[in-house]
Amino acid sequence: MHTQDSEYTIPDTKPELERGPLWLRNRRRLSRDDFNRTPLPHRALHLWRYTNPTSFLSPLTDTADISDSEDYGDAEKTSLKHLKEGDLAGLVTDLGGREIKGYGLDQLTVRGVVVSPLSRAVEEHHDLVEQYLYGLVNSQTGKFEGLNGALWNDGIFIYIPDNITVENPINLHRLAGRAGSARFHRLLVVVGANAEVTVVDEYGGGSPDTGDNPSYTNSAVEIFGLENSRTRYVALQRQTRGANSYLTHRARIERGASMLTIPLSFGGALSKQNFGVILNGKGAESNMFGLLFGNGRQHFDNHTLHHHTSGQTKSNINMKVVLRDKALSAYTGLIRIEKDSQVCEAYQENRNLLLSHGAMARTIPELEILNDDVSCSHGATVGPIDPQILFYLQSRGVEKEDAVRMIVSGFVASTLTLVPEDLRQRIDDFVARRLEDI
Amino acid sequence: MGKYTGIASTSDIPEGKLKVYEIDYHRILIAHTSNGFHAVADECTHDRVSLGEGCIHDDEIVCPAHGARFNLRTGAVVAPPAVVPLDTIELKIEGDEIFVLLEE
Amino acid sequence: MSASMKRQKQDLTALGEDYATKYGFHDPVDYFHKGAKGINHEVVEMISRMKKEPKWMTDKRHEALDIFFSKPTPQWGNTKLLNDINYDDIYYFMKPIEEQQTSWDDVPEYIKKTFDKLGIPQAEREFLGGVTAQYESQVVYHSMRDDLKKKGIVFLDSDSALVEHPDIVEKYFSTVVPSADNKFAALNTAAWSGGSFLYVPPGVDVQVPLQAYFRINAENVGQFERTLIIADKGSRVHYIEGCTAPIYSTESLHCAVVEVIGLEGSYIRYTTIQNWARNILNLVTKRASAHKNATIEWVDGNLGSRLSMKYPCIQLIGEGARGEILSVAFAGRDQHQDAGAKMIHAAPNTSSRITSKSISKANGRASYRGLAKVYKNAENSKVSVVCDALLIGEEARSDTYPTMEIDSEKVSVEHEARVSKVAEEQLFYLTSRGLSEDEARLLIVNGFMEPFTKELPLEYAVELNRLIELEMEGSIG
Repeated sequence: MHTQDSEYTIPDTKPELERGPLWLRNRRRLSRDDFNRTPLPHRALHLWRYTNPTSFLSPLTDTADISDSEDYGDAEKTSLKHLKEGDLAGLVTDLGGREIKGYGLDQLTVRGVVVSPLSRAVEEHHDLVEQYLYGLVNSQTGKFEGLNGALWNDGIFIYIPDNITVENPINLHRLAGRAGSARFHRLLVVVGANAEVTVVDEYGGGSPDTGDNPSYTNSAVEIFGLENSRTRYVALQRQTRGANSYLTHRARIERGASMLTIPLSFGGALSKQNFGVILNGKGAESNMFGLLFGNGRQHFDNHTLHHHTSGQTKSNINMKVVLRDKALSAYTGLIRIEKDSQVCEAYQENRNLLLSHGAMARTIPELEILNDDVSCSHGATVGPIDPQILFYLQSRGVEKEDAVRMIVSGFVASTLTLVPEDLRQRIDDFVARRLEDI
Repeated sequence: MGKYTGIASTSDIPEGKLKVYEIDYHRILIAHTSNGFHAVADECTHDRVSLGEGCIHDDEIVCPAHGARFNLRTGAVVAPPAVVPLDTIELKIEGDEIFVLLEE
Repeated sequence: MSASMKRQKQDLTALGEDYATKYGFHDPVDYFHKGAKGINHEVVEMISRMKKEPKWMTDKRHEALDIFFSKPTPQWGNTKLLNDINYDDIYYFMKPIEEQQTSWDDVPEYIKKTFDKLGIPQAEREFLGGVTAQYESQVVYHSMRDDLKKKGIVFLDSDSALVEHPDIVEKYFSTVVPSADNKFAALNTAAWSGGSFLYVPPGVDVQVPLQAYFRINAENVGQFERTLIIADKGSRVHYIEGCTAPIYSTESLHCAVVEVIGLEGSYIRYTTIQNWARNILNLVTKRASAHKNATIEWVDGNLGSRLSMKYPCIQLIGEGARGEILSVAFAGRDQHQDAGAKMIHAAPNTSSRITSKSISKANGRASYRGLAKVYKNAENSKVSVVCDALLIGEEARSDTYPTMEIDSEKVSVEHEARVSKVAEEQLFYLTSRGLSEDEARLLIVNGFMEPFTKELPLEYAVELNRLIELEMEGSIG
C-alpha cells in the first residue's frame, strides 16, 4: 500500500542524522529539512508521468534483517572466484548500506588507491570527502535524493590518485533488505587527473515477490572525473521481483576526460533509475550504452541526461529495451547544450522490442539546444520481432523460444559491440543469464 | 484465466458514490449507481489519470481532468477527449460482498 | 451533470432573465458602449443574446466559463508570457464604438515595411492592418458561395452557421475538443465569435481549395475564432486559412479552437499559415477525428506572433484511417514558436507521419512538443516522426520534447530528430559558385523548408519564399 504523503516526514530522532562529523551532520539535517518541505513531484512532469512518486516513500521504521537470498550468494561466490583468478582489482560488499566489507584491496592500497567505507573516509580523507560528497546528488536534485541525503547510513568511497591506472574492475555488491525494509546506499568516486578506473556496481537481493511488502532501496552515486581521466561505470540492477528501487547517478567530467556508463536494467518490481553526465571541459566525451530486459509485470522508469556545460564536447547514448508479458518501460532522455557550449556533438538512440501483447513502451528523447554550433540527433523506434525472421528460423528447425532468444541477442548485439573488449565478457555473462528468463 | 476476488462490502459504497481499490497491481473503481454496482479499471483512457475524483451521473462516470465520460456498464466513450473505451471488469455480488474477476 | 452544477445552471438562467431589471439596461448594446472589459457570466449571456443563439449554445458557454475559472494556467511552454496574461484587460465581444476604428498611423512600421516588400496592394494593406472592415474580395466570396450552395456545401462564418444550420452544428460542436480539455479551450467555448464552418455532403469532391481569407472581415479577425469542418462520407476538400502577409490586431490574445471531422472514406487537407503580428499570443487547440478509411492532413505554418502554442492533433479512430502533419515554424527575433503534433492511434491498420521543420534565428526559440500514442487495440499501425531543426546565430534555441507511448507490440514506430546549423561546407560550395553568403544561406533555408512549401498552393509558396527572404535579410523585426 502507498503511504499518505502528507504524513510522511523525517523525524528529528532518526539515528542516521547523528552519523559523522559536524559538517556531515549539518548536511544530513539540511537534506532532511529540504525533504520535509518539498511536495511530492507533480505527475505532469515527464520525469514522473509514468510512475507514482508515493511508490518510493519507503518505511521510516524497520527492523528487518539483511536479506540472504540464494541468488545473491551465487553472485558473491562468482565475484570472489573472479577476485581469486585475478580478474578483479577488488571487491566490496555493501550490506544494505550498513555493513561495508572489502576483499583483496591490499594491492590497491599500496598504490595509494582508496576503497573504503564512507564512515572511515570522512575521518581519514576528510578534505576529499567534504569537497565532493553531495556535490552532484543532493536535496536540490529532487525530493528522494533528499531522503537519501538525510538517511544514508554508510556508503563506499573510491579515490584514484592522479596518474594511477587500475586495470581490472573494482566490483561492488549492494544488497537490499528483506520484505518491508528500506535501505539507503551511497557511492562517491573521485578519479584523479589522468587516472583510470572501472567500477562494476551490482544491485541484488530484496523481497522475493510482489504483494503488499516490497523492499525499498534508494541509492545515490556521485562520480567526479578530473582532467584527462578515464572512468567506466557499470550499473547492474538485478534485484528480486518484490523490490522497489530508486537510483540517481550523476557524473561530472572535466577537460579531456572520458566516461563510459553502462546501465543494465534487469531486475526489480519497480525500478526508477536516473543517469546523468555533465560534460564540463573541452574535449570531454561521454558514452552511455544500456540494456533493459523486462518481463512479468516489471515496471522500469529510466532517465538519462547528457548536459554539455562546455563547448567542444561529445556525447552518445544507445539504449536497447526488450519487453515481454506485461512489462513496461518508460525512458526519458535529455540532451541539453548550453548557450556558450559551441561545437558540441550529441547523439541518442533508443530502440524498443516488444515481444508480447500487453508489453508497453514509452520513449521520450528530449533536446534543449541553446546555441547553433552543434551537431545533434536522436532516434527512437518501437516494434515487434520481424515475423519474417522468426518464420525463417523456425522453418530451419529452431524452436520458437530459441528463435526468439536468438533474435533478441541479435537486437542487443549492436549495442554490446560498443562495449570495450575487456569488459565485454562480463557484460555478455550478465546478459546471457538474464536472457535465460526472457 | 481469472478468479473472483472479494473486494468490498456493499455497505462500503453508498448510492451515487464510487471508491478505488488496489489489488495486485490492478487499480479498480467500484461505482454504485441507481442500476447497481459496476467495476471498471481506474484509469481514464485519455491521459491515464485516476477516475477516483470523478463523479457519477446516471450510468456514466466523468473524469475530473478533462471531462471525458464513459458508460459504467459497457465502458463506451460518451464524451471526448477520450476515444478508447474504459476497461470493464466482471463483478458479482454474493450476500453483501462484492467480488471482481481478476486475471492471473 | 452533478447536483451542484444543476443548481449553478438554474442560477445562470435566472440571471439572464433578470437582466434588464437587475442592471437597468434596456439595450444590451448599451452595455458594451460603456466600455466593458473582462469576462464573466453577464458578458457571456450578452454575447449569446446578441447573436440570437439557441439555448443549448448559451448553456454551453456558461458551463465553459466556469471550467475556465476553475482551471489553472499551464506551467509548461512559455510560462512567463502565459502567467502575464491579464484576462480582465481584454474586450471579449465588441469594443466601444469610439475605439473600433484603427487608423493607418497605428499600424506598426515593420508591418508596413513588409507590405511594401511583399508588394501588397493598398486596399489589402488596410484590410490586413485592421483599418478597413471591408475587403474587395468579399465579392469573390459571394459568387463562390453560390456555386458551392448548388452542391450542398455549406461554407459560412460560424456565427451564421449556428443560426442557419443549427442541427448540423449541434451534432458536431465540441465533439472533438470539449470545454474541459484545457484552460484556453474553455475560454474559447465561453467567448467564441467568428471562425469558419464548412460542411461537405457525402460523395462531393470540392475541387478548388476553399480559402477562409475571402470570408473574413477585420472584425472577424477574431480573438476567439471557432472553426468546425465536417467532411461527410467519401467527400474530399482542401481548406486554407491565414496568409503569409502579417495580420495586425490590437487585441493581443488570440485563442482559437478548430475541430475537424472526417467521416468514413473522406479526405480533408487543412492548410494554415499563421503570420500574426509580433504583439500577439496565439494559443490554439486544433484537433481532428478520422473515421474508418478517412485521411486527414494538416499543413501548418507558424511564422508570426510573439508566442504561438499550437499542437495539431489527429485521432485515428476508425480502422484504416491515415493522418499526416507537416509543420513548419520560423522563430525570429524575440519570437517563441511552441509547436508540435499529436497522433492518436485508436484503431487497427492506421498509419501516420509527422514532419516538423523549424528554424530559429537571432534569439528566436522554436520548440517541438509531440505525442505519438498507440493504444493496445491499434494493431498493424505505423508511425513515423521526423523533426529537423535549423539554428541560425549563436543565440538561437531549439527544444524537442517528443513523447511516444506504445501499448501494442504489433506496430512499427520510428522517430528521428536532428538539430544543426547551416553547414559550412554547404555555404562554401554555394559561395564559391558566385552567391553572396546571404544568398547562399537563403537558398539553404529554402531547401530546408522545401517539403513544406511544395505542399502549398502556388501563390502562397511564392509569398512564403519572399517572406523568408525578408526574415533572412533581417529587414523585419
